[in-house]
Amino acid sequence: MDQPASLAIDCLSHGFGTKPVLHDVQLRILRGQIVALVGPSGCGKSTLLRAIVGTHLPRQGTVTVFSGNSHLTGHVVEGPGRDRGIVYQHYSLFPFLTAVENVAFGLMLDQTNISYRLFKFPRWLKRRAEHLKQAREFLDRVGLGSAASLYPSEMSGGMCQRVAVAQALIMKPALLLLDEPFGALDEAMREELQRMLLGLYQENLAARRKGELEPHTMFIVTHELNEALYVGDRVVGLSQYWDWRQAGHAQPPGATVVYDCSAPIFEPDDTRDFSCFAGQREEIRDVVFNPDSAYPREKHLRYWQELEQQREAEPAP
Amino acid sequence: MGRIIIFAVCAAALAQTAFAAKPPVFSLAWSEYPSWSAFGVCHETGLINGAAGKLGSIEEKWGVDIELKEAEYDPCIAMYGAGQTDAVCITNMDVLNASLSRPGVAILATSTSYGADACIVSSAIADVKDLKGKKVRGLALSVSEYCFARNLQILGEDPAEYTFVNMDPGAAALAMQQKQADFDAIVVWNPFVLDTLNQRKDCHVLFDSSSIPNEIIDMVVMSESALQKPKGKEFASAVADAFYALNKRMADATTRDDTLIALGEKFSNLDLQSMRKVVQQTKFYATPEEATKLFDSAELKDTMTKVVDFCVKMEIVAKKPVVAFGAGATGNLVFDPAYIAAAAAKP
Amino acid sequence: MIGEPIARVWHVTLGIGAVLLLLIAYTILSMRQHRENPDDKTIPSWSQLSEGVKKSVEVNQRSNERWVVADAQATSLRLFWGVFWGVSGSLLIGMLMGCFAFVEAFLYPPLAFLAKIPPIALLAVFFVLAGTGETMYVTMIAFGVLPTLAQTVYLAVKEVPAELRYKAYTLGASHLEIIWNVLLRHVLPKLIDAIRLQIGPAMVYLIAAEMVVGDVGFGYRIRLQFKLLNMSVVYPYIVVLGAFGFGIDYALRKLQAFVSPWYAKGY
Repeated sequence: MDQPASLAIDCLSHGFGTKPVLHDVQLRILRGQIVALVGPSGCGKSTLLRAIVGTHLPRQGTVTVFSGNSHLTGHVVEGPGRDRGIVYQHYSLFPFLTAVENVAFGLMLDQTNISYRLFKFPRWLKRRAEHLKQAREFLDRVGLGSAASLYPSEMSGGMCQRVAVAQALIMKPALLLLDEPFGALDEAMREELQRMLLGLYQENLAARRKGELEPHTMFIVTHELNEALYVGDRVVGLSQYWDWRQAGHAQPPGATVVYDCSAPIFEPDDTRDFSCFAGQREEIRDVVFNPDSAYPREKHLRYWQELEQQREAEPAP
Repeated sequence: MGRIIIFAVCAAALAQTAFAAKPPVFSLAWSEYPSWSAFGVCHETGLINGAAGKLGSIEEKWGVDIELKEAEYDPCIAMYGAGQTDAVCITNMDVLNASLSRPGVAILATSTSYGADACIVSSAIADVKDLKGKKVRGLALSVSEYCFARNLQILGEDPAEYTFVNMDPGAAALAMQQKQADFDAIVVWNPFVLDTLNQRKDCHVLFDSSSIPNEIIDMVVMSESALQKPKGKEFASAVADAFYALNKRMADATTRDDTLIALGEKFSNLDLQSMRKVVQQTKFYATPEEATKLFDSAELKDTMTKVVDFCVKMEIVAKKPVVAFGAGATGNLVFDPAYIAAAAAKP
Repeated sequence: MIGEPIARVWHVTLGIGAVLLLLIAYTILSMRQHRENPDDKTIPSWSQLSEGVKKSVEVNQRSNERWVVADAQATSLRLFWGVFWGVSGSLLIGMLMGCFAFVEAFLYPPLAFLAKIPPIALLAVFFVLAGTGETMYVTMIAFGVLPTLAQTVYLAVKEVPAELRYKAYTLGASHLEIIWNVLLRHVLPKLIDAIRLQIGPAMVYLIAAEMVVGDVGFGYRIRLQFKLLNMSVVYPYIVVLGAFGFGIDYALRKLQAFVSPWYAKGY
């Protein structure tokens, strides 16, 4: 089956002042994937993410997002928009709203405007009740139905991040971006949230089996290799350590995609056994994180090849 | 440490004996006003030294130590009422209320308002009747309101038909000079009278205090109890003496302008020419004779009856104060010319 | 030990004790003054005070109104409108400064400077610029509180993490909704805190102005009665003023808890 693309990054380069950060980044994400982005700190992961969110546009190149309910149409990112959801490590929730209000916030902003809410107040109240009901359902889905009326300051970090995921999901974004979402959580909490993401991935698989459009496409930035391999079905490595001299540059031109391979797929109930991908982990350490490595940048971009092989192996339905 | 304590005790004991030998200190609170600023000028010229513990020539002559306390007019009244000063520069009207709680003696009359309080109106007002329905602004329950009410009475008008609205005279004069809306009449005192007339040539005086001479009297009042203290009477005489000494300087052609400028320095920014006018409108009782004449006059008794009645009617006083005249009389306020006479008798 | 908590009983007892101590000290002071001068009005006895209270509360024969009622009405209306316009102006200016770097660069220097001038010193300027009527009080209070409040709003807007703005955009917010539904909600409790702090200074300007140009109001009455040495009226008025300030503060705290319940929960 042919998966449509959700995101396409073409020839994206960026820098701060005279210092180059990103060099000619090419990336295509398909609908229904969980792509984990790893890379050494300072390599430009966040810069790339901001370019996708649209808050900081790149100097060169384009980001195209494909969105739509049944038929996907692409448009070039020129600023933040409702087709891309984002979950930050901090400040993902609005402190002045309760959990359920936070989740319903997007519905309110997206479906109504200020004058409607002010001048058609009775109608807005009715609409509001629907929004809150829908928000409660989403909270239930992330297991927080009982925390609906708590303010962010009254919830633990893990609860907040769950609400943040629900808040983004309710918008049914074409792409859900997660920026180190679990970086500030303790190990147990992190594991729970990782399983939640895997649960969402299962929803994708179920939709694919039914021949429907996969509901969730995620791009998760992390510095944790285990997390990347465990949660993602594909791992992308961004690194400034590659063989740029060979490519004809006198100065380091910045980070680019040097690793792109599929990752093992787990189900939420599987035992977390990180040893099964020990080999791949070592490979990523060497290719992406080792300052002394200087591989040609295309050498470890195996994903599309692997996908091809996989499709050939799978009999067409 | 012990040595320091011994030293401090010795110093205190020494100071004690030193003070005992010194003349007793009496205080006089005054505010800037032509005939009261005289005391400030007395200090500048060395006739008296306003600091406690230091003596000027007149203080030495009478063997008392005069401490001058300068403040705004209202705080002066409060100071006197609270017993924080022995004597105060005050008008014959404002003293009535204070005299109810602290009986006092008028030891000296310094000046009377003879045009210094005036009702200034815009060109829209030609006759006093035009004021009906307009707001007349000035400090409520003060000599301004008294001057206003008395003039209406003289003109045969009923004060009840006129509206007097409270406002600080400085603010009222400023508003008048700015030609603010709804400002057609103010009752203020100098320097605001002259200042406003200088700034707004289209304004004129509808009436002023020259129609009620010797009714608004600026005086020095000393509390009865302080007067009874040892040397209290000498203090009263010394105050009168200092005032007349300064008036001599004003009468003398060689020192007149100097003294006038000194008097007006903090009072206002009026020039010498205007200050001459000020002292005309604030008529000084420049000699003991003039003041004694006032104190002995039947007219004063009549005036005080009017003022007391006004104060009762306006609820300025809670009850009628007893005003008495002459040496040895008793009452809440006694006009006693003895100290003026004592000052005159000891040149 | 430093910082050790005490039982609630102690809290209450000590509080009541402090008030009692104050009352006793006053009584002694007053008795001493009356021993010196039985007719003294500057530190009135309790019976004199009750006379003064009666005078302030009863319908006055001459003016036909109750002093306290008329004064409270006048003063609170002036305060309300002054603060109202001050808050409105500061919200507008602070928001614009927080949102647009152009406005920020243009307005920050004068605002920072004006915030440092005690408006009481500007009293004369306000008389000249705004006349001496009711507008003057309102203008004076409004301009008096505006610089500090505008700075508060501006800083509060600046404090909102950029992530929350981005987030709101990804949820489909318009620019106006960012201001109305995100920034304003953030600013409100801090603004109310700042208003609570500014009520004190605002009262200072107001009372001072009323003392000079008022013909009704707390300041007017206090000055007049002070000049007449009716401290038995002045002291109760000061107590009323304290209660007035206390009441406003209480109301503002309640308002804050109502509009920003999240703020009190330790954001």
